[in-house]
Amino acid sequence: MKVFVIDVDKCTGCYACQFVCKDEHVGNDWSPIAKPQPDTGQFWMHLKEYIRGTVPKVEMHYIPLLCQHCDDAPCIKACDVEGVMYKREDGLVEIDADKCIGCRMCVDACPYDAIYFNDDLNLAQKCTGCAHLLDGGEWKVPRCADACHTEAIMFGEEEDFADLIAKAEILMPEEGCKPRVYYLNIPKKFVAGTIYDPAAKEIVEGATLTLKGADGATCTATTDGFGDFWFRGLADDASFTLTIAAPGFATKTIDGIVTAKDVNLGDIALAK
Amino acid sequence: MGDKDRKKVDVSVDKVTIKNLAMGGLLGGGGECFVDVKDGKAIRIRPYKYDWKTDFESLRPWTITRNGESLSPLSKALPAPFSLAYKKRTFSPNRIKFPLKRVDWDPNGERNPQNRGKSKYVRISWEEAIDLVASEVTRIHKEYGPLAILAQGDGHGENKTIHTPHGHQARLLDMMGGFTQQVRNPDSWEGWYWGAKHVWGQGFQGMMSPAANLIKDISENCDMVLKWGCDEETTPWGFTGQYASRISQFWTRAGIKQVYICPDLNYANAVHGDKWIPVLPNTDAALQLAVIYVWLTEGTWDKEYVKTHAVGMDKIEAYVLGTDEDGFPKTPEWASKKCGVPEWTIKALARQFAKNTTSIIHYFGGSAFRGPYSHEPGRLECVMLGMQGLGGPGVHQAQMTYFGMPRAEGLGSVRFFNPDLPERLTKPCWTTVHAWGPQLIPKTLIQDAIMKAPLVFHGSGGQECQTEEQFTKYTYPIEKEKGGVPIHMIWTDTPCRITCWNHGNWTIDAMKHDSIETIVAQHPWLENECLYADIILPANTTLEVEDIVTTVRQGPHFASVSIQEQSVRPVGESKSDYEIVAAIADKLGYGDEFTGGLSTMDLQKIVFDAMKMDKLTTWEDFYEKKTYVYKTATDWEQDPPGFRKFYEDPKSNPLLTPSGLLEFYSQRLADHFPDDKERPPFPQWVERGITHDESLASERAGMFPLLLMSNHPRWRTHAQGDDIVWARETPTGKVLGFDGYNYEPIWINPGDAEARGIKDGDVVKVFNERGIVLVGARVWERIMPGVVYVDHGARHDPLIPGKVDRGGAINTIAPNGLTSKNCCGQATSGYIVDVQKVKNEEWEAWRRDYPDAFARKYDPGAGLRFDAWVVER
Repeated sequence: MKVFVIDVDKCTGCYACQFVCKDEHVGNDWSPIAKPQPDTGQFWMHLKEYIRGTVPKVEMHYIPLLCQHCDDAPCIKACDVEGVMYKREDGLVEIDADKCIGCRMCVDACPYDAIYFNDDLNLAQKCTGCAHLLDGGEWKVPRCADACHTEAIMFGEEEDFADLIAKAEILMPEEGCKPRVYYLNIPKKFVAGTIYDPAAKEIVEGATLTLKGADGATCTATTDGFGDFWFRGLADDASFTLTIAAPGFATKTIDGIVTAKDVNLGDIALAK
Repeated sequence: MGDKDRKKVDVSVDKVTIKNLAMGGLLGGGGECFVDVKDGKAIRIRPYKYDWKTDFESLRPWTITRNGESLSPLSKALPAPFSLAYKKRTFSPNRIKFPLKRVDWDPNGERNPQNRGKSKYVRISWEEAIDLVASEVTRIHKEYGPLAILAQGDGHGENKTIHTPHGHQARLLDMMGGFTQQVRNPDSWEGWYWGAKHVWGQGFQGMMSPAANLIKDISENCDMVLKWGCDEETTPWGFTGQYASRISQFWTRAGIKQVYICPDLNYANAVHGDKWIPVLPNTDAALQLAVIYVWLTEGTWDKEYVKTHAVGMDKIEAYVLGTDEDGFPKTPEWASKKCGVPEWTIKALARQFAKNTTSIIHYFGGSAFRGPYSHEPGRLECVMLGMQGLGGPGVHQAQMTYFGMPRAEGLGSVRFFNPDLPERLTKPCWTTVHAWGPQLIPKTLIQDAIMKAPLVFHGSGGQECQTEEQFTKYTYPIEKEKGGVPIHMIWTDTPCRITCWNHGNWTIDAMKHDSIETIVAQHPWLENECLYADIILPANTTLEVEDIVTTVRQGPHFASVSIQEQSVRPVGESKSDYEIVAAIADKLGYGDEFTGGLSTMDLQKIVFDAMKMDKLTTWEDFYEKKTYVYKTATDWEQDPPGFRKFYEDPKSNPLLTPSGLLEFYSQRLADHFPDDKERPPFPQWVERGITHDESLASERAGMFPLLLMSNHPRWRTHAQGDDIVWARETPTGKVLGFDGYNYEPIWINPGDAEARGIKDGDVVKVFNERGIVLVGARVWERIMPGVVYVDHGARHDPLIPGKVDRGGAINTIAPNGLTSKNCCGQATSGYIVDVQKVKNEEWEAWRRDYPDAFARKYDPGAGLRFDAWVVER
């Protein structure tokens, strides 16, 4: 059974996956696996970008979003026409482009918004896993994985990826769809800043920062040679109190830090 | 139904062609792809595989290790996304389908130069087009002499060798008695070309050279790398592809700290950065001086090295400490006000740099080394590295993946301009890299030459000219008795001066000048200067020609040479640039001399022979396989990294400077330009001068309070690729305006946007005295306050030619002024502008006064269309 394993930390956001999906499918007809993808506006492979933080503590990550090829696929259940939506023996979910009648039920049923409706052709379309190429025998991976220069998008047999899958997460687990697309290293929220001495106009290296959550759990960090500290991997919408301690300085506390977004506390002055 | 009962799709192909679809041009390769062809159609474009015809292990894949992590090549090429989208280029709605003539240009009557950029075009036959060009060449030669024709045969372009997109006209005109040469300046390297060369010698267009094994040495020794204006997720794409990403990721795994010093959260900074130090555009020199100040006052520099390896440290010391006539110390406090970096961060940077083994990484100049007076940061970088023991383990300047990769076996050179190729094939491209025409004009001075001649200038700016050439005094026109004459005809190919060079709006004015009687343009796409031409000749693209391409620049995993079979038939009536000029040569009676009677296969074999490939394989084997991949040299690790030999023994291994040492102070500059305040003998903080007043200290900053930075584009290679639909629809591709037009993005910080009432997605104008460019706002934290960012190279779409551009061609409003008084480079990043929302009354006035501009046919996906400018005869 095939799976996609996508390491978000390795993705540099080059969009080659999105481009080659179009290269394969715009203007090419691979019926019944797929009829042509519209030139613009629809993305069977959709790179989503996220900008986190404020100047100068800003980071980005990208998430390639595609049909999740679910084992418990709501689209297959939603489709009323015999033989249109089906799961292959290798796990890929397909829409038979010759049989789809354009009822849109699957489009509405997909919690991942991964199914597009092609008005011109009156049919539902989505990532096929490049099943037409895999069936041809020469291709072992779909176009997106072939073009990925950092090997962030991996594709293959489930058992070959067991170690990575054990560390991975799935999108929207609450939907219970049992997706076959696994994601590694999707960043959680950060709290960051720079500590400096306003009198000497110097950064403070080696300051100890303690971040305390509403539940009382704490984590610590130390400022580096730029006076920077980073707390990563924090939950969404959590509340924190930060305590900053450094030899020779008065301890400082910052309350009310909420990780609704990633938080850059900026350059923080530490008094003697 | 079981899978085995389902209908299988036929995915067989007729042939697999190799095409190198990067866009650096100049006979080089990069962006190696396979194009799968079936029934004459390009089905797909995918990364080339090194193990297609060769056992991968036989290529001797190398390994570099650090801290238990390793880096090795992959068996596939890593072309940029726009290379993989090349079908959208070849089949762009902007392709020129047949030869064109401007409706109101009559070679036997009224030529109406004032209507260039406004008038439309009619279809003509190839026969008529060739007749017109040939008769104009003959007429100009007779009336004024051969030097009255300017050949603009340079710049970026597709990777072709026989059919190279540039300079065939120069080769023909050379046979006919000469021409005026446009000499292309090192537009991506200005700061080093005009600056660093005077410190460490010729280098490679001023970049540090030799540059062998830099990636290995940096990987093994550095604790920190400073990516100073570097965006390795953008600038390598059009030249060598995406290998740099993998090096940066390796450095992250190996624990090498990556610090980005630039005004923007550029694409590499966003995913590889451990630290971002935002610096205001074109203020890097202040930051560098303050770093040196900290080292001097704290004694954290390599005094012994400087004593034996450099001259002029006393001058630097006196200037930085303020004990010379300048009289004030270049402290972090002083620098902070200029460059926008907090004082404490400047000190921290200086100390981290001194404490950790540190290299400075680039891939071209980014914004930092392409602004006014860019030779100052260019030289200060050499001084900083010199003060930390340049050439020692992990102390280098490196152009990441352009050089410094493991050496290939049997490959003569990895230069930009493959020196192994014979003159027959390289001569067209000489126009780009040497000054060799009898009468020449630097590309940055074309408009001055037309509007303000006579000109006197020093140095041609030719990319591979020697340092000494910067002291050569030129005049335009040259003396009459040597054939000197002002230009009256322009013959240009793959042109992009308006959108990629200095003050494009003035380029437009110059092209409309009545002294220019004829403009001939050859190009695959109807864009930029083509809109100001009188005769337009449709060239074709890489996919449409049979060629051979040598990918010898470093950056791909392995070098290769490939026979590039034709993938698809030419679009419309297009011909290759070579075929176009050959046809004109034939008409002029130079056909045999021009082609030399050589077939395509003859020329392919000439390349094979010139590259001495017979030592590596046989012609028959190569031609059958269509590709040869170079193996890694078995002794690659023995190559001394960078300046190592100089580091170890400067006396025996002198640099190419007069003293053989690093010249922090250049006596040669002092001797030749004793009064030059803009490029003094040693690098300084030059905020303004007779050439530029583009800093926030300018009085003009009251009107134009934002600094504009412009990097090489993410989604184009300079002007190439602006029509790729799939790039345009990404968040940083284009901004869909309220009017359905896709505007070039301008990045603006949320604070600056709010102060102007600008919201993300708004159509706004960026402007200064030189004109207005309409752009689409991207309001986000990817840009520091006080700075706006627009990539250069968007296609010019004149709303009012020379005044208002709708296509986002930001260089239309870049300064006309050169890098500095005696340096004919361009200064196209780091200048002052303002940004405002476009008012309703402005839209109404433009729509009322320029209805044609708004009525032009427009493709919602790809933008500009060929047929927008063509009318029935």
